[in-house]
Amino acid sequence: MPLPLYYFLAITAVNVLMAWALYLPYRVGHLHFITVANMAISGYSAAWLVMSLHVPFGWALLAGFALGGIVGYIVSLFIGDAPTFAVVIVGFTFIYITRTVIENLNAVGGTMGMFGLPNIGGNPVAHRWIILAILYGLLLLVGFLIHRFDHSQLGRAASAVFVDKDLAASLGVDIRKLGMQLQTFSCTIAGGCGVLYGFIYRSFHLDFFTFALVGIAMTIIFVGGYATMWGSLILAPILYGVPLLFPPAIQSWRIVIYGGLLILVLVLKPEGFLTRRFVYSLESFLSGIRKKRKTQ
Amino acid sequence: MKKTLGVFLMAAMLLAFVGCQQPAPKEWTVPFLNSLTGRIASIGEYLEWGAERAAKEINDAGGIKGKPIKVVGVDTALDPQKGSVEMARLVKDTLVALGPVPEPVIMAAMPIAVENGMMSITATTSLEYANKFFPWTVSWFPSTEERLAPLVAAWAKQFPEMKQVVQFVEPYGPWPGMADAHVKGLEGLGLKVLDKVEVPTNAVTFGPLVVKALNEKPDGMVFVCNATATAKLIKELKSRGWKKMDHLLVFSSGDAPELYATGGKDINGVEIYNYINPNLDNPRWNAFKDAYAAAHGGNQPPSLSTNYYDAVYMIKEAIEKTGVTGSPSKLKAERKLIADYLQNVKGFHGIMFDWDMKDGVPTNKPTFIFQIQDSKKVLVQEVKG
Repeated sequence: MPLPLYYFLAITAVNVLMAWALYLPYRVGHLHFITVANMAISGYSAAWLVMSLHVPFGWALLAGFALGGIVGYIVSLFIGDAPTFAVVIVGFTFIYITRTVIENLNAVGGTMGMFGLPNIGGNPVAHRWIILAILYGLLLLVGFLIHRFDHSQLGRAASAVFVDKDLAASLGVDIRKLGMQLQTFSCTIAGGCGVLYGFIYRSFHLDFFTFALVGIAMTIIFVGGYATMWGSLILAPILYGVPLLFPPAIQSWRIVIYGGLLILVLVLKPEGFLTRRFVYSLESFLSGIRKKRKTQ
Repeated sequence: MKKTLGVFLMAAMLLAFVGCQQPAPKEWTVPFLNSLTGRIASIGEYLEWGAERAAKEINDAGGIKGKPIKVVGVDTALDPQKGSVEMARLVKDTLVALGPVPEPVIMAAMPIAVENGMMSITATTSLEYANKFFPWTVSWFPSTEERLAPLVAAWAKQFPEMKQVVQFVEPYGPWPGMADAHVKGLEGLGLKVLDKVEVPTNAVTFGPLVVKALNEKPDGMVFVCNATATAKLIKELKSRGWKKMDHLLVFSSGDAPELYATGGKDINGVEIYNYINPNLDNPRWNAFKDAYAAAHGGNQPPSLSTNYYDAVYMIKEAIEKTGVTGSPSKLKAERKLIADYLQNVKGFHGIMFDWDMKDGVPTNKPTFIFQIQDSKKVLVQEVKG
């Protein structure tokens, strides 16, 4: 496989997963930026396990998922039903705290970072295929789970919470429990993504986990459509991939292009390119075709 | 008849073989993975300017082996994601590259260059980053500890009455390691190094940091933080009555245009160390300075502006001395030739001074301590490691 294609596919998968990690808590109105801190915590921890304790990568990856989930769960105990603004503040604060802790931990390279992470599978080609297999397996699994969630009673409850918390509570929705579940799940995804992100580059540096990642995920969600999971899936490769095809002279303008696109979408299509109504119509259309085929 | 046919077939095969050989390109293209947009775009601009200046000079003098050299800026925008994809594109057919810049992009992209056996010169980072990717890069700087300890000791020796020193340290990449090297140099002289004051990368207010430092009652201070923060800290110090300006030392990465623009006259008298001496007087450097000033509104070249200028000349020398042809069919072997040559260059004629490389590390680059006067650096002393 050509190397640029590998990096494009791998990074796109991480971006989709991270966009979904933001999308899920946003279903109840939470902008949960702690996911970026989770990436760093789990990523560095897994790298330390592999490099210092020689733990096999598979176990380190599982530990990364688990650590992400545990951190997410503990934090969600306090902000499971907090207002959006409070969740945003907690997320930003957590990113700062995480950076400071890692900066001062010599075991994980401090401000220098971690170098020379091993190839999974023993050689670079096997490494790349394994990383892609895990990432796209994860993408399918998480996508399936989110799709099921969106079409479940819980998903409808989340929609009610997004529109009006009081109304949702009067309908019997446990807002705190739902918020905690979504936050924990999104942090678990982010933890695993952090491990895989570092192993794509085979190194870790604190500046891999900055607010720029928040920006990327936010742009993907809000341009793609924050009301369905499909917007992120379609927009991540486009937003990330198209600028790579630009000639160098235009590449320098890509931030302006992103910004302009975001403003345009917010003004003209506040729900993003893919709205829930559009997805429902498409689903009805497709199920209509299926029914027709069955009756024929 | 058979003989004629045989000769004809052999000639056809030879022609086919020659036809298969891809011709060497008409120019030497050197991609430069650089941060041309984003937070450090201003640094990326002058790094690129230096590299292009070298390419222009080389081309005006007839190019490399008669072919022009072209530096192509590839913007990574300080983004590891973009840096890795761009490096993955380059390693397919690039002979030698410049960059990446800065450390997060180096860490994401350099493993790709190493895996594919392509030299990419990272001329702005410390040895402690560069040596992880040897022999597919070289370091522009010697070991931090070996070089900085005697340098800071030389600064401190000027002031025998100085007993206690405090450092302002920003936790970025190699900077805390540089601060540790300063401690070794100062403690070697018997000075007491007080608890460091950490400067947050996004600090907006500097008063509390200065108060914290002054409470420790230091006689001298060393600044290991970005240029803007350094200037603001010094202004705060001055506003709180600090008089001994030469007892303040700024580290090399603080020697950037923002230091002078923000500090103005308040940083007069402050001392600063660096690896280049802008006061040198040689025709090449003078022409560089004049051209830089003409292109940058009269400003002096910043300290890193010559790094990629020299790197381009080093590539020229490697191509000329190793017989590299640039032919795509010899790409792997010629990449190795260049890497091997650059690891141990001897007597390289840099724009400011000649130096040698041993296993990718410069062995005899000088270092300098200056005093700032009206935004200019006046040489105090040259320090040899």
